[in-house]
Amino acid sequence: MFLFRKIHNWLNVRLGVDDLVEKQLTGYLLPANINRWYSLGSVLLFIFTLQVISGVLLLVYYVPDADKAFTSVNAIMNTVPYGWLIRLCHVVGSNMMVLVLILHMLSVLFMGSYKRPRELNWLSGFVIFTLVMAISLTGYLLPWSQLSFWATTVATNSAGAIPFVGSYLVEFLRGGALVGPYTLGRFFALHVAVIPIGIVAIIGLHLFLLERIGVSTPPFGLSDTKNPWKDDRFRHEDHPGGIPFFPNYLLSDMTSVAIYLVFFLLILFFASNIFLPKDAFIPANPFQTPAHIKPEWYFLSNYQTLKIFPNEFIGLMVQGAGMTFLALLPFIDRGPERHPLKRPLFMVCAVGGILLWIGLMIWGHYS
Amino acid sequence: MNIFRKIAFSRLTGVAITFLLVSVAPVMAEGDTVCIQCHGSQTGRGLAPVKPWQTSIHAVNGISCNHCHGGDPTDSANAMSPQRGFLGAPEELAIPGFCGRCHIGIKADYLHSAHGRALGKGGPTCVTCHGSHAVQKVSIELINEKNCSRCHSYDRARIIRSAMEQTETTLVTLSQRLEQLKERGVDTAELEKRLFAQRNSYHSLFHEVNTARITDESAKIAAELNLIKGRLDKIDAEHHQRKVIGAFAVGGALLAALLLNLLRRTYC
Repeated sequence: MFLFRKIHNWLNVRLGVDDLVEKQLTGYLLPANINRWYSLGSVLLFIFTLQVISGVLLLVYYVPDADKAFTSVNAIMNTVPYGWLIRLCHVVGSNMMVLVLILHMLSVLFMGSYKRPRELNWLSGFVIFTLVMAISLTGYLLPWSQLSFWATTVATNSAGAIPFVGSYLVEFLRGGALVGPYTLGRFFALHVAVIPIGIVAIIGLHLFLLERIGVSTPPFGLSDTKNPWKDDRFRHEDHPGGIPFFPNYLLSDMTSVAIYLVFFLLILFFASNIFLPKDAFIPANPFQTPAHIKPEWYFLSNYQTLKIFPNEFIGLMVQGAGMTFLALLPFIDRGPERHPLKRPLFMVCAVGGILLWIGLMIWGHYS
Repeated sequence: MNIFRKIAFSRLTGVAITFLLVSVAPVMAEGDTVCIQCHGSQTGRGLAPVKPWQTSIHAVNGISCNHCHGGDPTDSANAMSPQRGFLGAPEELAIPGFCGRCHIGIKADYLHSAHGRALGKGGPTCVTCHGSHAVQKVSIELINEKNCSRCHSYDRARIIRSAMEQTETTLVTLSQRLEQLKERGVDTAELEKRLFAQRNSYHSLFHEVNTARITDESAKIAAELNLIKGRLDKIDAEHHQRKVIGAFAVGGALLAALLLNLLRRTYC
């Protein structure tokens, strides 16, 4: 106890630890009506950390060579002690990360938290979403299974629909005319180095913006649900009379992480095959196309959209327009109201959009 | 005017023929040999082998007419020309050699058996039991009263079948278990090879009529299959253990969520 106090004093004199704790933890107040949805950001940070740890452990045994990749993943699953657990953590975690990220974005959408002055928070979050999709796509190829090989062939093929540059783009993505060893090398480099660094940097920016602007107040349980922001000077959104981050909201965050773990572990131990079907355990064979190859669930709506239109380019344009609209939403939806039930046009568009996305996903799965 | 009409008519005819060819093309299955195309359009004896072959294990494995009967499957005019290696249908005595070009080991087993030794003396050939075109994947079902009673009494065949039945069941069960494990990411390559070897040994008994040898060989196969089963049981036990650990982990996370929530509520 004496030693602990001595270390504490030593650090306090040099770094002002008490002041830091007061400012960032116990004295850092959050809106009194803050809800559980706000903790999804912390859950995402937890998932990302778990992905990095399991990814680094997989790197110890994974061989990024087209002739050895499948065998190395097979060895991880069968001979490396607890290799199966590490790989399943990574596979299930990657899918859960996309799911929780979508839920996080939906909560921000419905609570109007993307509105002024948080346009940059939304934009940085949107970039993280795009990077997570990219890291999922690049990681999908690495096991070099029938599933990964053909899903990547289909995914990279769609870039070929872009007029003039399409064929060059496909060749650039694949490192050749077809998916092959060079594609694996490129995707590996992107998956383990380029994209993770990008994600960490943008998460840093996202957290900086959150800290700098302040946590938004949820529109629920308030008489006035209009956006209080004034476009004259910078103001940090304080929450006097709110609840402290530590211990109150940190416990809420930890509860959400524990609830997430319940679902994560349930899938990992009892239903991991929903993310790893039969073709995931057959080595890639460029000469044998599986009968019903489909992309991952989060790309199914994109896949179906490309099939609906008579021309793939139109399908790509529609998706591009949809993504651009979503990215620029804070600049388009400039109304002051934040409560979802007081925004009927938004509600119709949002619910309609979600139903359309789910419908396309189901259609894509069964088509 | 008349010339223009003729030109227009000939162009229209050309377009119509092209359209007809394009629309008919998908009806003809891609990869059909000229043998199937020609015999498929015949009636009676000419048509007879087509449908049975289409339902056969040979068709499933891509073994077409020319692989057995020779000839050129790409040239309808010379498809059945001896100069192109056409053999036609073999005589009775030549049948084991005909099938044995591919089924080398099985041919040897057959020739050593009582069935093979009776070849040309009223004994059965390959096609007597397996059929000539509707050849199915071999299973113990082939030994049945209806089949065997065509030539002799079923008594001895019944003893042979009962001696082999358990091995057949075990082989099928182990194959299914291996497939299920493979779908869950288990490396089954080595066990599959071992099972394949045992299946081959077992199939070699199909042409044996010596009941003592069948019993001996079946016992040896059963012992090896038991070892494979032991390995699969061990893998299953490990997977069951993982599920038990998983249940505890889920329970632990659930308990942590409850406790953390209770703790959070004490602060609110």
